[in-house]
Amino acid sequence: MTHILDDYAVLSPLRYKNNWLKLSVVTFGILAGVSSNSPLVPLVTAACMSFATVHFGKIPSGLYLRLLAGPAGFVLVSAVIIAFFFGEGVKLFSFDVLGFTLGVSSAGLNMALLVLARTLGGMSCLLFLSLTTPMIELFSVLKTTKLPDSFIEISMMMYRYIFVFMEVAMGVKYAQTVRLGYKDFRTSFRSVVMLGTNLFIRSWEQGEKLYVSMNSRCYDGKLTMLDEKRPVKLPEAVLACGYFVLVMFVFLYTRGMPLI
Amino acid sequence: MVVLETKDLSYSYPDGTLALENINIKIEKGKKIAFVGRNGSGKSTLFLALNGTHRPQKGQVLYHGNPMKYDSKSLREVRKNVGIVFQNSDDQIFAPTIYQDVAFGPTNLGYPREKVDKIVTETLEYVGLTHLRDKPPHHLSGGQKKRVAIAGIVAMDPEVIILDEPLSNLDPVGADEVMDLLNELNYFGKTIVISTHNVDLAYSWADYVFLMNDRRVISEGAPEEIFRQTENLKAAYLRRPVTLEIYEEIKKRGLAKVRSCPRDIPDLVQTLRSQHLMWVDVPPEVEEGDTINLGILYGEYAQDSMYEAINCRVLHIHEDGLAIVEMDRKALRAGSIGIYDTSRYSHEELMRIISRDGIECVGAMGKKSKLIAEGDDLYIHVTSGVIDRSILNALSGQRCLILTHGGMVDHAMDRIRCYIEKSGITLPVDVVNPVKEE
Repeated sequence: MTHILDDYAVLSPLRYKNNWLKLSVVTFGILAGVSSNSPLVPLVTAACMSFATVHFGKIPSGLYLRLLAGPAGFVLVSAVIIAFFFGEGVKLFSFDVLGFTLGVSSAGLNMALLVLARTLGGMSCLLFLSLTTPMIELFSVLKTTKLPDSFIEISMMMYRYIFVFMEVAMGVKYAQTVRLGYKDFRTSFRSVVMLGTNLFIRSWEQGEKLYVSMNSRCYDGKLTMLDEKRPVKLPEAVLACGYFVLVMFVFLYTRGMPLI
Repeated sequence: MVVLETKDLSYSYPDGTLALENINIKIEKGKKIAFVGRNGSGKSTLFLALNGTHRPQKGQVLYHGNPMKYDSKSLREVRKNVGIVFQNSDDQIFAPTIYQDVAFGPTNLGYPREKVDKIVTETLEYVGLTHLRDKPPHHLSGGQKKRVAIAGIVAMDPEVIILDEPLSNLDPVGADEVMDLLNELNYFGKTIVISTHNVDLAYSWADYVFLMNDRRVISEGAPEEIFRQTENLKAAYLRRPVTLEIYEEIKKRGLAKVRSCPRDIPDLVQTLRSQHLMWVDVPPEVEEGDTINLGILYGEYAQDSMYEAINCRVLHIHEDGLAIVEMDRKALRAGSIGIYDTSRYSHEELMRIISRDGIECVGAMGKKSKLIAEGDDLYIHVTSGVIDRSILNALSGQRCLILTHGGMVDHAMDRIRCYIEKSGITLPVDVVNPVKEE
């Protein structure tokens, strides 16, 4: 079975830490990264969050780097383009291509580094959240946000049946493949359509079966929420505060100070 | 006492397909009941009529003698007491975590939070799944999902538990664990109803069997009667249980006693005639009609355990010194069965008992006991069909120990005593770590 992100989150030891603490750490990191003018702040948050995810969250570092590589590759390309096309003034260096002069100014380079750092910082914050907080924990957070109960209940059931249908879809896809259902573009197209139709009918049937089975257990519109009391322990609080102080310090120190 | 009853019940689906026709059944309290029939014979539809999901067009369902009413309050009452475990666990387990799914029923019954929490914790421990309480269901194996589904029903404390094909898609040991669980629940007074097309299971497990085919109940009664009616079985597209087949065959060959009806392997072994005659070499001075003592037989004469052949009467002496003797057998060492209650488990004590009693064969019954054995690296010889296997091993002279807990201790004692009574063979059986009296 292939693991999906949520599976890593379920198995991560950080899952059992206070959800609100994790959420505030992540929100703080993103806000600090976005409001800072210096690329150093988001880089510090990125380093801290990556360390926390891999070391405390016990996420395989190979997997983590692969996850980060996607957006990082994208933003690297963008950064190069920004460096060349943004910013006026004295060029740090320049060269001629087919009669055009391309050059990088210090303002453009600063901008490119800032974008790069902000993206990495934001991504590592989000990855920290999604790799240590499974959906099942977030439901109890949603519950306190005054969203309508039925909305949360439906999302809980959707969450559960995503996996059921994923298994069905994988089974059907496999059954189609072994009978050469994906041998060329035409047949693949047909097979995908059949897979979709089949899944639609299955989910319809599943809905009815679910209704019967829930009624058999006297369903009257209430689901239990998993809101376990997980008080913030002292070492966690100290660590989080240390992180806040570090980021604030870097933030204040680098304010208005361009890197180059 | 009759818990559930149907009178002339007929039901057809909204599209007009007739699904049940004139069903008259009575389900008695505390019994183990099996509905046997091939796929599509109407078992699942009947079950949904029994908890009020399907409303019959004709006839009625009676719960404790009162006709079922279909307003929501009466339905709640019935559904609290008649729990259904569905064939496909994924149809039933819908909550994102195991804990929430088991808590679903008790929450719907309107219990306060603390009570729900207590019930769920106890139930999960009971089915041996405490360690998985915060896991999402898609991380579980088929057997574990089935036990979660059963826990979800047990948590509502129903009077009758109905299971639709409880063993489908389970491996043999997983199936055994589910059956152990059902037996234990039954021992504590729950009425268990299952549907199955596995004739062997229905024959060896049930107290009472309904045979279904083509929307009707075609025959009902004790399993010993039902499964000997070859015609009815043929009409229901089923076959005879393997134990009965073997018995009939060895009976035809004159190797088994007539007029018995073995339900499990110990029963079957019991029907075998003992081997009385044997070819042996005799010294020349022995004459026909003499009584000789052959001493202890072992090795190829006695594969499983040694026995003493005494007072053998020489019936006939062949020319080359071979003689036919008729003998009495006396087992040299009787086996025994000890039952160890793992709810009072201590590793040292168990090791002491194993070495003290010279235990050769340890069996574990129930998830909790298996987990304990696994945790402490105990080698378990028998993990499925534990009681039967222990009886058979004890019969051939081994000393067996069954690790189990809770209600299954008494259940195992009862089963073994019942065997002793039926067969007339005395086997020492005892709980080896009884409750210490204060």
